[in-house]
Amino acid sequence: MTLLYDVDSLLQRYLTKLVRNPTLLATNIVTPLLLLFLFSQLLQKLSVFPGVSGSYLAYLTPGIVILNAMTCASLSGVSMVNDLNSGFLSKMLLTQVSRPAILLGRLLSDVSVSVLQSVITILVAMMMGVTIAYGLPGILLILAIVAFFELALSGVFLVIGMKSRKTETISAIGSVLFFPLVFVSSAMFPTSFFPDWAQTISRYNPVSYASDVARELVQGGLSLGTLVSAFLVIGAISAVTIVATLYQFRKVIS
Amino acid sequence: MPDIITVDGLVVVYPDGTRAVSGISFSVEEGEFFGFLGPNGAGKSTTIKTLTTLLKKTSGKVSVAGYDLDKSPERIRSSIGVLSQETSLDVDLTGRENLRLQGRLQQLRGRALDERVDELLKMVQLEDVAGKLAGRYSGGMRKRLDLASALIHKPKLLFLDEPTTGLDTQSRAAIWDYLEGLNRKEGITIFLTTQYLEEADRLCRQLSVIDRGQLIARGSPSELKGTVGGDSITMTLKDGGDITLKEKAKEIIKSVQGVTRVLDSDGGIVAYAKDAGQSIADIVMALDRNSIHPASLGISSPTLDDVFLHKTGRRIRSEELGRRETEPFLM
Repeated sequence: MTLLYDVDSLLQRYLTKLVRNPTLLATNIVTPLLLLFLFSQLLQKLSVFPGVSGSYLAYLTPGIVILNAMTCASLSGVSMVNDLNSGFLSKMLLTQVSRPAILLGRLLSDVSVSVLQSVITILVAMMMGVTIAYGLPGILLILAIVAFFELALSGVFLVIGMKSRKTETISAIGSVLFFPLVFVSSAMFPTSFFPDWAQTISRYNPVSYASDVARELVQGGLSLGTLVSAFLVIGAISAVTIVATLYQFRKVIS
Repeated sequence: MPDIITVDGLVVVYPDGTRAVSGISFSVEEGEFFGFLGPNGAGKSTTIKTLTTLLKKTSGKVSVAGYDLDKSPERIRSSIGVLSQETSLDVDLTGRENLRLQGRLQQLRGRALDERVDELLKMVQLEDVAGKLAGRYSGGMRKRLDLASALIHKPKLLFLDEPTTGLDTQSRAAIWDYLEGLNRKEGITIFLTTQYLEEADRLCRQLSVIDRGQLIARGSPSELKGTVGGDSITMTLKDGGDITLKEKAKEIIKSVQGVTRVLDSDGGIVAYAKDAGQSIADIVMALDRNSIHPASLGISSPTLDDVFLHKTGRRIRSEELGRRETEPFLM
């Protein structure tokens, strides 16, 4: 019970902080919409290519949603660094707060932001004419994938943050990882365009697994194989990042 | 009164090999106002961080609030309040929200939480600004809010690491008042570290002087000052530049009854005497008989700085100044 109470306390703290920083909140919501508008307008003609069944906007929407999970994941690391350096983490450790709640509260807050971003992205896409093949259950499943993927990646940035104690390191490593992972995957563009080497990388890129299943939920034709392999891949990443995060967190708090 | 803190042979060595605390032992009685006085880098913060479970000790036996540090750090945490040196508030939350969060993390809830928050906001006189973001608070206000957070779960033992470093005189005086009140009226035991002589002298009933990881003196401020050997009488002569005259004056002062030591000091003379009030009259008369006339004359009680000087050959203050002088000047 202590755990739930503490997670609730900390979740409230993070969400209040988010609301108090309207610029950050607005950037988080506007950026995916901006990408959605820009790419779907600039690359309209991609609709005629194989792999894009229907409009390019419908192809792009699930990709942008997965991208939200990735940008939110780095937030976890940044806020951990801030709490470490400001002494707030020490202050929390001196209280009777349950230790796992410190991580869980943070993760839940970032998950909620990525889910909120994705709800807005999907709603706007629908207003622009995209139909979600599996309707509301489909949307809920997409949001579950976003949340799960965000959770899996947060660990990466939490570990970097706890090790480096610098927000600069997080954004530097974040952007170095971000572009190849996003662009050499099926998130933004159909991979049939890619040269062979890029197609190979894209096939094993976890971002492709997450995007493909989200895309099938939007465009229809969901296969059990895509769903299961996406959850297996994300699950495997989570297992590694969660263990690494807990290990690093124990080192920090002891 | 039973001991609320006992420390036996505490050693703390950092991973890089720095020996911050090298084998200190002391105890603090329940209800005490206890202070650790020492210059920067003496090992004060390291000791406080170890006692409050934030830092692992290398060796030694420590018991805080009746619990063993190795066996029950959680129980220690629930019985102590800690005010760390760096003020750690969430600047995006209001004063009240900060306090409420701290209360919730200390497992308070419902009406008990509301009442305690109101009570503390009143105590640290932040009721009027409780709805403002902590980021807009002045340094003194932040410190007061931090003090309130440290008290939210009614700890019986309060640790304060340099609570007034960097504060203006007025804010410092306010913190002092709260601490004295907490100790006297509510019986909270206080363990405070400081590098301010005045703070140690005014607040602490028991003091340990720490230098380079070791305790070098212990006692009440007046006991410690008593070890210096009398008050000091400082004077300058009318013809200050005259060396022979000054030497003659020193000889005369030395012969006065009650004077224990005579030294040169900043172009003047400083003499130590057990009963300075009597000795100063005798000194003036003896000098007058030899037609030597003081230009200025003063008595001062020994300070804790004199104690530190006595034990280490260095002053707490001058060390800080000295460090600043040797720093390279950057263009």
